[in-house]
Amino acid sequence: MNPLPPDARRSQARAEQFYRLLLHLYPVAFRRTYEREMLLAFRACYRDLLQQSHPHERLRFWSMIAFDLGITVCSERLRSCVAFCKRLLGRERNYLMASALLRLDVAALTDRGLTRDANEDTLISVVPPDTQTMQQKGALFVVADGMGGHTMGEVASDLAVTTIRETYYQNPENDTLTALRQAVEQANETIVQRNETLRTREEASRWMGTTCVAAVLKDDRVYIANAGDSLAYLIRDQEVLQLAQNHSWEVEQVRLGAMTLEEAKAQGKGNVITCCLGDTLELEVYAATEQAQDGDILVLCTDGLHGLIGEEEIRAIVQQYGPEESAARLVARANESGGPDNITAVVARISLAA
Amino acid sequence: MGNTEQNVEKLLPLTPAVFAILLALADQERHGYGIMQELALRTDGKLRMGPGTLYGSIKRMLADGLIRESGERPDPTLDDERRRYYRLTDFGQRVAQAEARRLEQLVHVAQSKRLLPEGGGIGGNR
Repeated sequence: MNPLPPDARRSQARAEQFYRLLLHLYPVAFRRTYEREMLLAFRACYRDLLQQSHPHERLRFWSMIAFDLGITVCSERLRSCVAFCKRLLGRERNYLMASALLRLDVAALTDRGLTRDANEDTLISVVPPDTQTMQQKGALFVVADGMGGHTMGEVASDLAVTTIRETYYQNPENDTLTALRQAVEQANETIVQRNETLRTREEASRWMGTTCVAAVLKDDRVYIANAGDSLAYLIRDQEVLQLAQNHSWEVEQVRLGAMTLEEAKAQGKGNVITCCLGDTLELEVYAATEQAQDGDILVLCTDGLHGLIGEEEIRAIVQQYGPEESAARLVARANESGGPDNITAVVARISLAA
Repeated sequence: MGNTEQNVEKLLPLTPAVFAILLALADQERHGYGIMQELALRTDGKLRMGPGTLYGSIKRMLADGLIRESGERPDPTLDDERRRYYRLTDFGQRVAQAEARRLEQLVHVAQSKRLLPEGGGIGGNR
């Protein structure tokens, strides 16, 4: 493709800016999903236009755009209004249940970071290909940050995610949150038992443990179970909901009302956590559930990411780019900030039929 | 679910935009602008679709299971921006065939009423 002359480039930039403004007429959910793609299509069409010299082609182009915008803004607004009324009348839920509504666009990435010798983080992302399993059990995502000498952390985090996946999909329990919590408890038990076989001091150096955050997306709900400081965010418009319980020592002090976050940080306990898988059978796994909305983005990550990048920046990145690009950019940002730890991110864009 | 013959019939007749998108995707997967280009090319630029119509239709076609997203990647012939590609599902293919048969039937009617010459020749400037 030939580069455009400068005045054409200026005209292109102005036209794009104008079109971007016009896109604000669409309902938020629609704009969020398609704004970028629409701008790209517009840019390509406008480029084609600039390569034609007929003055009345411009008029034709802009009247096509105006007509297209007028009609589709009205129809999208009407549809989102109808969907809203259905929700008010409580009818949407049945519709959603009846129509295999959940669609996911997922990307996951893990990276050693810049200073660690090994990557002790592990992740899995399971979106069952068959409709039946998807409807009964949903999609499962797990992120785990292992620890222990002799790179045993790698073994621990791997053992955790594998056990959780197997246990969750084999568990006949109908209640999703219970099944998920049980899967995490099973992973804990497996690692605890493994640690109990270590008797001598030499063997004891092979102790292992891991954090874990597991998420299930099923119908229109997100289910979370976690232990440790790997976290889950649900991003919706300008909002960032942190769904997991952060078991970092610092955050725990604040939750207990013992000190402010600043005071806790001043204790210099850095990344000490108050619980993890592998330590004790008495572990209390945190579990919670949240209603998902069309266009929500679920992000799971280890502290190698959220310890370096603020929630606001995570939100900005995942809302601007598709999941794959987002995951890559999140990891790159953590590395730009020094990459002191392994970095893992799962990004899932949730579409619900409406 | 959503794939029986009955469900095919339920979607007919298709809107012109939906049918045009199905046709554009019938031979290969394309991104949004690729769909627009294919349409313009096949209709000598007579049929043009704006971004709003295109993505509004795509949104509903995804929900109906007619098409599926097949990843995001740059188009080497355009620039290095990543674009979302779409492809036809089996169900989408069946719906497109059913709509084509429905239109074929109407063309036969037009021919029997002498609005069109028999046996092809649609296009009219001959």
